[in-house]
Amino acid sequence: MSSVAKQKSSIRARIQVVGGFLTNMVMPNIGAFIAWGILTALFIPTGWFPNEKLAEIVGPAITYLLPLLLASTGGRMVAGNRGAVMGAIGAIGLIVGSDIPMFLGAMIIGPLGGWVIKKFDKSLENRMPAGFEMIINNFSIGILGFILMVFSYYVIGPVIEGANAFVTTSIKAMVAGGYLPLLSLINEPAKVLFLNNVIDQGIYYPLGMQDTLSSGKSIFFTVASNPGPGLGLLLAFSFFGKKAAKKTAPGAIIIHFFGGIHELYFPYVLMKPLTIIAMIAGGMTGITVFNLFHAGLVAGPSPGSFISYLALTPKGSFLGMLLGVLAATIVSFVITSIILKLDNKSDDEENFSSSLEKSKAMKAEGKELLNEIITDAPAATEINKISFACDAGAGSSALGATTFRKRLQKKNISGIEVKHFRIEDVPDDSDIIVVHKDLYERALLRHKGKNIVTISNYIDDPSLRELLETVEKNKGTEA
Amino acid sequence: MNEEGLNIMLSHFLKNNTKFLQSVPSWEESIQIAAQPLLDQGAITTAYVQAMIDNVHKNGPYIVIVPGIAMPHAKNTGNINATGMSFLKLETPVLFPEGKEVSLLFVLAAEDSTGHLELITDLSSMLIDEDVMVKLLQVSSETELISLIEEVE
Repeated sequence: MSSVAKQKSSIRARIQVVGGFLTNMVMPNIGAFIAWGILTALFIPTGWFPNEKLAEIVGPAITYLLPLLLASTGGRMVAGNRGAVMGAIGAIGLIVGSDIPMFLGAMIIGPLGGWVIKKFDKSLENRMPAGFEMIINNFSIGILGFILMVFSYYVIGPVIEGANAFVTTSIKAMVAGGYLPLLSLINEPAKVLFLNNVIDQGIYYPLGMQDTLSSGKSIFFTVASNPGPGLGLLLAFSFFGKKAAKKTAPGAIIIHFFGGIHELYFPYVLMKPLTIIAMIAGGMTGITVFNLFHAGLVAGPSPGSFISYLALTPKGSFLGMLLGVLAATIVSFVITSIILKLDNKSDDEENFSSSLEKSKAMKAEGKELLNEIITDAPAATEINKISFACDAGAGSSALGATTFRKRLQKKNISGIEVKHFRIEDVPDDSDIIVVHKDLYERALLRHKGKNIVTISNYIDDPSLRELLETVEKNKGTEA
Repeated sequence: MNEEGLNIMLSHFLKNNTKFLQSVPSWEESIQIAAQPLLDQGAITTAYVQAMIDNVHKNGPYIVIVPGIAMPHAKNTGNINATGMSFLKLETPVLFPEGKEVSLLFVLAAEDSTGHLELITDLSSMLIDEDVMVKLLQVSSETELISLIEEVE
């Protein structure tokens, strides 16, 4: 491998790791988004079956439930259950500290909370007086959580509010200058950060209503509510996405396009941030076409469903309206597809190289790859828990774990949990999973996205030696 | 863990549970023969022997823990009555799948996932030491094996 190629692959690996982190934070919570989306589409005053009582859930769910879930998942990914608790504690601070749904903030504060408690636990490791573990564990989260709550209330919340104010000002400037298609540059990122209602109802609807009074319709009602770009994105995910994202996208289409709940596609953009380009391009195309045909709506389409679009289109605007939505869909579909395709391709390469590595795990190249895995993945920059796995969880994994523990002991490295499990029982907060190469596929199936080290020798494998060295190095730099 | 150096558990379990043979026709038979002492004592049933063989068929020869040494085992699905270990040494190595040569077999029967850990620990401290490994591959009688085990560390 030339050094240039190596550098390239490591940058790519890094981007993928960050992307994977976002995906893992969002994906487990998609169900909650869908539940919220269905509820909203059905019961809000402009929904299918308006119901004042049930609609009361809508606000608290998007303000509290969804961000808290994201923050909790983010925290858990960094520091297990203690991290999840810290993440949620931090998120409530910024939720209350601001007036808009705090998704982006939650995705920052969650992992941050996890990181804080992880660092703290690390510093106390092996220094806890016996018998005080429980009280220390609880009060450490209690006190650090308290600080984090106040911090996020006063610092992070306002920062994101500030970003919101900036968005509002920029939009007003662009409208004043008449650069309508450029609005997408701000609209789309702002939407994905869940500012959609703020910009739509706070800026575009008032502008639109003024227009309507004078000319009977307005393009401003469409600039941020066009369901086309989201549809294109979700279609692309339905065809070219992977695994869970691919399977959930079709359902999201129905809720998004017909139900008008744009929030459904936001997670997909958040997990593959590059697709924001597709959204912007789609949005611009839509605005350009609407503009060209002088199309507009008579009122704000809330929710931004295709059906409310049709209902609010005045005579003479239908062609422009349909074309605008269609063009936006096509553009965002094509660009998202390209992005996903490129991404898949590099993933394939990655898989290919990892299976290559598997087949010659004993060779020196394996060393480099393992190093890369260990240094690149955020969850494993610190190795606290190594789990050996095998079929029964009693024989070879126990032998491997025992031997590795002994080696750690010999090097006077402490504070690392090395245990053995059945593949299916390996706990999620393991930083490294060690498994025989024959069982790699099964381990992968069960523990996708984890650092799996394959070995072919439970006692003395090059990969294990490498792992030992890495652990030793990590401990060394911390001391 | 026995820092004292005597691998008491392992030698205790292996006593009268060892076999030394010239060769065996197949890896399946090596497992059957190696497991025979445990079977005779009633520590395991024939179903467990089959389970160990099936395990290799299904999951590959991962039980070959280091080159030359296999630790046949499987999940306890009610086929194990008591934790135990038996040993087989072959003069001519037998070929496991993927061309893995094996001349030592430590059959492991683990009643649950913790009771046998001392046994595993002992075995681990033997295999971790390269000098011991070399000697282990050369033992020719139970007495030799036991004294080698007991002199480790």
